[in-house]
Amino acid sequence: MSNDLLPSSQLPGVTRFQWQQLLGPIVVVVIVAYAASSVSASFAFLTEGTLALLVMVLALQVLIGNSGVLSFGQAAFAMVGGFATGLLTVPVRIKENVLDELWEPLKMINMGIYPSLVIAVAIGAFLAFITGLFLMRLSGLAAGIATFAVLMVADNVLFNWKLIGPGPQVMPQVPKFGFIDESIAIAVLVMIVVYLIGISRRGRLLRATREDALAARALGASIWRLRVLFFTASGGIAALSGAMYAHHAGAVSARDFYLGFTFTTLAMLVIGGASSVWGAVVGTILVTAIGQVLLVFEGGVTLGSIEFTLPNGVRGLVIAAALVVILIWRPRGVTGGKEFRVPFLSRT
Amino acid sequence: MTQILEAVSIVKSFGAIRVLEDVSVTVNKGEIVGLLGPNGAGKTTLVNIIAGYESQNSGTVSMDSRSLDGLTPEARTHAGLARTFQSGRLFPELSVAENIVLGGIGVGESTKKANRRALDAIELLGLGDVTSEPAGGLSHGLSRLVGLARALTADPDYLIMDEPAAGLNDHETPVLLTALESIRVESGCGMLLIEHNVGLVADACTRVFVLASGEMLFEGTPHDALIDEGVLTAYLGDATMGLHGGRA
Repeated sequence: MSNDLLPSSQLPGVTRFQWQQLLGPIVVVVIVAYAASSVSASFAFLTEGTLALLVMVLALQVLIGNSGVLSFGQAAFAMVGGFATGLLTVPVRIKENVLDELWEPLKMINMGIYPSLVIAVAIGAFLAFITGLFLMRLSGLAAGIATFAVLMVADNVLFNWKLIGPGPQVMPQVPKFGFIDESIAIAVLVMIVVYLIGISRRGRLLRATREDALAARALGASIWRLRVLFFTASGGIAALSGAMYAHHAGAVSARDFYLGFTFTTLAMLVIGGASSVWGAVVGTILVTAIGQVLLVFEGGVTLGSIEFTLPNGVRGLVIAAALVVILIWRPRGVTGGKEFRVPFLSRT
Repeated sequence: MTQILEAVSIVKSFGAIRVLEDVSVTVNKGEIVGLLGPNGAGKTTLVNIIAGYESQNSGTVSMDSRSLDGLTPEARTHAGLARTFQSGRLFPELSVAENIVLGGIGVGESTKKANRRALDAIELLGLGDVTSEPAGGLSHGLSRLVGLARALTADPDYLIMDEPAAGLNDHETPVLLTALESIRVESGCGMLLIEHNVGLVADACTRVFVLASGEMLFEGTPHDALIDEGVLTAYLGDATMGLHGGRA
């Protein structure tokens, strides 16, 4: 290879923007979402919820996939996002009637869905930044436990403190999205952002710290700063996911985002492959599809003269088993952690 | 301003064990200096102290009259001090090219400039055939060369190399030697070469330091080191061993 012959932009093996890596997952999400939502109203509802979950899995991918730091706490920011958008959009009369212990200024606020989404993201990112300043000094098991503590704190505060929410009750009458297009557009936007973050200069350096932190320091990389930055981005995206979920369900409560939500979204990320946007997409679709098939069987299916009925809870068992199998035999997920790629279109 | 990397009167203990005792090393810009010593002499500890990975009990480290004491490894890299590792320490799941380019991106160079420097380093060290390979699949020898290319992409003022020739074959060692001389001449980089390959050190370096049991045993030219009785006894154990191109 000669310097004179090869433009530096074409150095083989270097991470760079590739249209197919971005467009592939987007096309798959758009097609699957529109196809599924056209089946029935219940499928449209399921699809909208799954798109909120996809955004959460992408939030996890930003942090865990790029840094290797395991976080059980990102659902806390989804919780905050859900509450924030709920408080900002639920009609004043509902808040006065149902949330009578709410702090007065919060009762008076009312705005549209989209401004509230922006504010929810800002609040989630801000809280993630503050917690990240402390937590991102940790790695491995310590980081996992500390982030789980964040989830517990958020759950306890939002489950009990009626000054800023419904407490153990449900916050009702959260305005719903009008069309599936809105959720699809937000999910696509987040996919673009997450992909660009991943291939950015800081994203590439953070991936280096994931592989060998000591050697990455020799490159001049400040591990803590990079992790705080990505923890913040992840928190903002998680808050958006929580807000989407609230506008999908039309109601929000703290327990929507607790252990089940955390386990499901982490399973989606691990099963698909934590290192790529494509992995997040595949994991979300796979786990949702498996869950729905098993749900049908849990309700009973008649094939000819034979009726199959699976006991309730089988869904959770199967997803947990799939997670274990993946962790043992294919730890980089079913996509191998790689981005979407059509071989004959790839230059390297 | 004096252009010199200095570690002066370094003392380092791990608990009750004194690893370095009043050790001093200097590297001028545009000079290749060797650091020799048997296993356990304290070479890697000294390198880790200069690069900021460990702190000394006493003594100072400075670069071009600027104290480096208290600076993190990443701050020292930004200041112009790069290093390679004894074990390569590449990012195994990233490609060879990505490993090398990150050397430039880490110190804040533009992507275009980092790519350009990476290409230069790849060409210099003959790595053009493996740029797309995952770094984790390389031989030990190639890993050292990629680690060196990664450090060079940061365009350092001073470079510390921890056994860069270990694992290199008979074809790769001369490539490394030529590359070191080329780097010295073209960039004026000062280099500290920790190496067991006495022949390589003799060919590449203008001065050598010899460490033994944490104490500086010798400072002078490679030629003088190779005939110094104390060095031969402490470092080689047996003065009759082959010195030219041989491995201790």
